Amino acid sequence: MSLSRQAQTELIRVAAKAGQLLHQHGAESRLVEQTTQRIGMALGARSIELSVSPDAIVITSLFDGECITTTRRCYDRGLNMQMVCDVQRICIMAEKKLLDAKQVKDRLNRLKPMKYNRWAVVFMIGLACGSFSHFFGGDWQVYITTFFASAGAMTIRQEIAHRHHSPLVNFAIAAFVATTIASLGVVYEFGEKPEIALAASVLLLVPGFPLINAVSDMLKGHISMGIARWVFASLLTLSVSVGIVASMTLTGVVAWIG
Amino acid sequence: MDLITLLIIDAWFAWIPAVGFAMVFNVPKKMLIYCAVGGAFAHSFRFLLMHFGVPIEWATLAASSSMGFLGLYWSRKHFIPRPVFTVASVIPMIPGSFAFTTVIGIVQLNSGGYSLELIQIVVENGLRTLFILAALSFGLALPSIIIYRGRPIV
Repeated sequence: MSLSRQAQTELIRVAAKAGQLLHQHGAESRLVEQTTQRIGMALGARSIELSVSPDAIVITSLFDGECITTTRRCYDRGLNMQMVCDVQRICIMAEKKLLDAKQVKDRLNRLKPMKYNRWAVVFMIGLACGSFSHFFGGDWQVYITTFFASAGAMTIRQEIAHRHHSPLVNFAIAAFVATTIASLGVVYEFGEKPEIALAASVLLLVPGFPLINAVSDMLKGHISMGIARWVFASLLTLSVSVGIVASMTLTGVVAWIG
Repeated sequence: MDLITLLIIDAWFAWIPAVGFAMVFNVPKKMLIYCAVGGAFAHSFRFLLMHFGVPIEWATLAASSSMGFLGLYWSRKHFIPRPVFTVASVIPMIPGSFAFTTVIGIVQLNSGGYSLELIQIVVENGLRTLFILAALSFGLALPSIIIYRGRPIV
């Protein structure tokens, strides 16, 4: 099958859009590479070459001896697995020839990131950190302290993220809030071992997804992507620690390292 | 308490963080139940292994690789990329406390000066974080490393 120059340009735009969406919403590099290639091939390219780097993707397609290359800058738009699932579904439908290039483009443009109700998330995160306090051996009083500390921190985190501040600043402030609320439990001696609440209430700020993505990128051969993700996750951990230390210095409650 | 009760309590407290973090990652609603089942299964399996004296790193590797294969089955069934289930399911096992202790130790090293005790805390917690994390991700990646080897899963 042969394509006009215009159709080729349109095709590469569609594939680049898919790759960009996946990259921005936190898919691992292997998934970005494979899905973009599959969409391009399904729509009729001879081959698609893709270079994934931490803040951009470069994509080249080959049709009958003609190459088109394009670059897309990928700003981080926050983890969103629902977007990753939807792009993957569009890819599979394109491969089964259920969609043509125009339909794929329309569907990609129509995708809207789904967000859970923020208070539902706050509530669940409070319970989640409470469960962590149970794993660390806390009783029900500690569970309550942890619930309020982490729910408060999650509210602050969403509020700051909504205003597009840097995640580094956001995590430091959220850690400060969580530790300060949890240290009230220590001051008023609420429960058997109230120090546990300090350790459990900041666990909502562990950059778990970037860390797992970092290692799995490195395992699958995308070393530079893995290093970039690892460094970013380490910076987030550092800023959380700075928030914790600032709060401990202010309140005088020392629970992490005696 | 006997082992079964302890396992059930562990599984009960493990599904909550799995679903909570799945909601932060915006996992589609229909898939939350799989994250809950996966989280409860993986964490209680690790608890069982550690109960019989397996070191935490190896127990984590076993739990996360079984989660990887479970995720493989679900992802083939629903045509959904694997990280959607698997990452949220292993979140309860992430060594967050060890990681923060390490970095707080480093911050204290700067402010309080060198001490053998602090260095010990930093090195021990840092290495534990590193190895548990490597075991987690390696276990999850195992199906695509040894079976699929570069071919797409869905």
